[in-house]
Amino acid sequence: MARIVLRGLVKTFGRITAVAGVDLEIGDGEFVVLVGPSGCGKTTTLNMLSGLDTPTSGEVVIGDRVVNELEPGERDLGMVFQDLALFPHLTVFENIAFGLRVKRVPDAAVRARVREAAEAMRIAPLLDKRPAQCSGGEAQRVALARTIVTKPAVFLMDEPLSSLDAKLRVEMRTELKRLHRSLGATFVYVTHDQAEAMTMADRIVVMDRGRVQQVGPPLSVYSDPANRFVAGFFGVPAMNFVDGEVGAGGQFQAPGITLELGARAPVPGSRVALGVRPEHVRLAGDGAGWPAAVSLLEPLGDETLVFLDYGGPASVVAKVDAEAKVAVGDRRRFTFRPDRVVFFDGATGERALR
Amino acid sequence: MTVRRRLAPWGRHAALVAWAALVLFPIFWMISTSFKDAWEWVAWPPHWLPHEPTLHNYRQVFTFTELGRELSRSATDQVFNIWPALRDSVVICSLASLASLLLGTFLAYAVSRFGVGGKNFRYAILTIRMVPPIVIAIPILMYYAIMIPHTTTVLFGARLSLFDTYLGLGLLYTVTTLPFVIWMMLSFIDDVPYTLEHAARLMGAGRVYTIRRVVLPLVASGMVVTFLFIFILNWSEFLLALTLTHPNVTTLPVLLNKFQSAVEGRLYGPQAAIGTVITVPVVVLGILIQKHLVKGFSFGMIRQ
Amino acid sequence: MADAHAPTRTAAVPAPTRPPRRIAAWLAQERVFRLVPFVLVEGLFLLLLAIPFGLTVYISLLKWRASRPFEQAHFEGLGNYADVLADAEFWWALGRTFYFAAVAVSLELLIGFVLAMLVARTVRGTRVYTTVFLVPMMVVPVVVGYNFSMIYVDSGPLNQLVAPVAALLGFDPRIRWLSHPIAAQWAIILADVWQWTSLTFLIFLSGFSALPRPLVNAARVMGASPWQIFWRVQLPLLKPVIVIAVVVRSMEALKIFDQSVLLTFGGPGNSTQTVAFYLWRQVWQFNKFSFGAAASMLLLVIFAALIYAGIYLLVRQRSVALAEGRG
Repeated sequence: MARIVLRGLVKTFGRITAVAGVDLEIGDGEFVVLVGPSGCGKTTTLNMLSGLDTPTSGEVVIGDRVVNELEPGERDLGMVFQDLALFPHLTVFENIAFGLRVKRVPDAAVRARVREAAEAMRIAPLLDKRPAQCSGGEAQRVALARTIVTKPAVFLMDEPLSSLDAKLRVEMRTELKRLHRSLGATFVYVTHDQAEAMTMADRIVVMDRGRVQQVGPPLSVYSDPANRFVAGFFGVPAMNFVDGEVGAGGQFQAPGITLELGARAPVPGSRVALGVRPEHVRLAGDGAGWPAAVSLLEPLGDETLVFLDYGGPASVVAKVDAEAKVAVGDRRRFTFRPDRVVFFDGATGERALR
Repeated sequence: MTVRRRLAPWGRHAALVAWAALVLFPIFWMISTSFKDAWEWVAWPPHWLPHEPTLHNYRQVFTFTELGRELSRSATDQVFNIWPALRDSVVICSLASLASLLLGTFLAYAVSRFGVGGKNFRYAILTIRMVPPIVIAIPILMYYAIMIPHTTTVLFGARLSLFDTYLGLGLLYTVTTLPFVIWMMLSFIDDVPYTLEHAARLMGAGRVYTIRRVVLPLVASGMVVTFLFIFILNWSEFLLALTLTHPNVTTLPVLLNKFQSAVEGRLYGPQAAIGTVITVPVVVLGILIQKHLVKGFSFGMIRQ
Repeated sequence: MADAHAPTRTAAVPAPTRPPRRIAAWLAQERVFRLVPFVLVEGLFLLLLAIPFGLTVYISLLKWRASRPFEQAHFEGLGNYADVLADAEFWWALGRTFYFAAVAVSLELLIGFVLAMLVARTVRGTRVYTTVFLVPMMVVPVVVGYNFSMIYVDSGPLNQLVAPVAALLGFDPRIRWLSHPIAAQWAIILADVWQWTSLTFLIFLSGFSALPRPLVNAARVMGASPWQIFWRVQLPLLKPVIVIAVVVRSMEALKIFDQSVLLTFGGPGNSTQTVAFYLWRQVWQFNKFSFGAAASMLLLVIFAALIYAGIYLLVRQRSVALAEGRG
């Protein structure tokens, strides 16, 4: 069983707190992605999981044992680093074989297993080459072969795709998912790229400033964000935010926008922020909606982004079908899809008014 | 403009060749003199190439025994015999360079990976080199010749002096080249990404195993360059050797100097022979590593 | 596509027959790796540099000549320092040293710069020129001294080159250069220039090759003439390199010793006595230990001041470079 439990993990470096308390349970065979901006603590958390960093407090449990005291090499892990960390002076074969040679696996077994791993990653023809002679994608697969050859229970990945170009990145994403399915091992993957997180994860762990902000499957993190940070992190273009307050009559009020809040039990006078994704902003056909002027258009091909100046401090961005007839300078009215509007507390950013 | 353009490369090459000639001339002259017999040394007009080339000087210099009287006047035969000095130079330079390399690499690893000594250690260590050797030569002389024997006599009853010993000069050579070793090896070790060691650790390798199989192979060529560099420095070192050794221990530079002051008429021939013996290996070694020197300099200096 | 791995969790590697390794052991080993080399190296420095240094300070406060045993020395206080400062020869040697260094370094900078510029521009034979130009740096300084003494001798090749001029002017071309104080001084300076122009050449060459091409190209596109490009684009960019060359070379030049001993032995008279030579002589020839110790300390103070100035310049150059986004 390769269940992973992180309990109360804290890591401080002198006066800097990198990880301020992380509790997480990862099931056997899950593909979990830790995502967040730089400095949010995701890599440090991964390092504590691997053992390269020792937690200031808290426990790391792999399988059914607490592994805090164990050397990284004893934890039955495989890890792929951001810079791949392939040994430049060794051939691809020896790179893959390194972990086996450390454990003094007999030569015949080494050759068989390296071959197996190389074939699984489709790099068998490269075995006699050096890493410098491999392309970006090939080097990636060498790094993966190196991890799978020891058949670990848990795979850790620290932004492995960030050094690849866009096309290669997409290919490797599929490759990794395929690998995960065929191995059935637990994958813990760290990235700052929200698109990567969305496409690859069984569950996403969103982190910011050393804490877990939200844990959940991609779609729920996307459509049911726990706070403003998570909401703004996912989705391109980002979610629209409108700061306002609850009026005396129990409605949301902001310059240019008024919205009935209905059954959400608002507290009059409280400050709230409204959030709505561009794809849920509608350009109204008839007289309903709030007035605005189109200030900018960004055609994306299949869709078009329409920037609407409605009188608030920032434009509201609407994502409309490319066929729609809109031009800069048009005066239009816009509404929101009512079931897709979310609210956040004006002060804390936490989700409010569910 | 076109005329200028066409002439310019020629002008440049002319200037460069002129300087190259200036550079090579003294060395050429020395090698040429080393093959000249006594009557040609100070002939006028000077002979650029020996009219009667001879190996006599080299034979003189490389004999083990006392030499024929016709040339030596007030010189002792030790002055002619290069073998002891050669042996002394080789032994001291090799051992000191090796010791410095090993110790310095060890420390460089610690500084690179653990930040031992603080952020500015690499700069602080260079300040040691900035002290003029004369300023430490004299204290060390007194230390070796007086203070240490005094102390050991008091403590152990036996008089141990480091003056004029292999150990004395060797230790000092080790210490004076350590800053260079640390500086150079630091840059080489820094070039080996730490993630390589992390990867090895994750695959179960211990630190010693990792250093042996991952780090050392990658800095091996750097170690060779560093060794050659400090070997050349030690080989050329004159002031400290002059102050702290002789006659038991004599390095080649000191020997050469002895020719100057010990003999009335300057014996240019044997001097040239010794000079050639001292210089040629070093120049050859230097040419071998010069590619690395240039690279190291540009990275070290500019990236600094 | 080989999907050969069934998701079993059977032992991937033969089960370990030894107890699992603990992080504590790793950290303990790390402590050894940190401390041992540091202690060893610092210990060596302490033993071989710090203690003698302290010893010298002590000796400088005594009055002691080597002719008398140590026990007879008595405390003198700062008398030795006063003696050194009062010795005209000390100041002469110091001044001379600065003079040598200034002239030699200026020449080296100039020639090295020009050479580097020329080599950077040539296409063919760059490697050959560079190799040849770096040779002097590798020649043992003592041998350099000796070589030049051969060349300066009255029947040497230098005089041979001068001969035509001498014939015209009607005097004997067999000049004994090293017997004239000024000529002897220039002999030392030129020997130094011969050897160390290599270094400035190397430094400037690195500087030239590190010049970013895009900047020069941008200037050319904007219509700048080669001269303008040199003055306004390349030279300012080379400033940090120039500073490095000046500082590094100056500090070394002040220590001139080997050639002084070998070429002229301080002569004729004292005219080529550098301060290092002076110091060495006090102790080695005249056995004035306390005097020598005091002089060493004074010299150290002077050098320390210069070193700090040098480091300050270097560091400031570096922070300027960093602020401008380079380095």
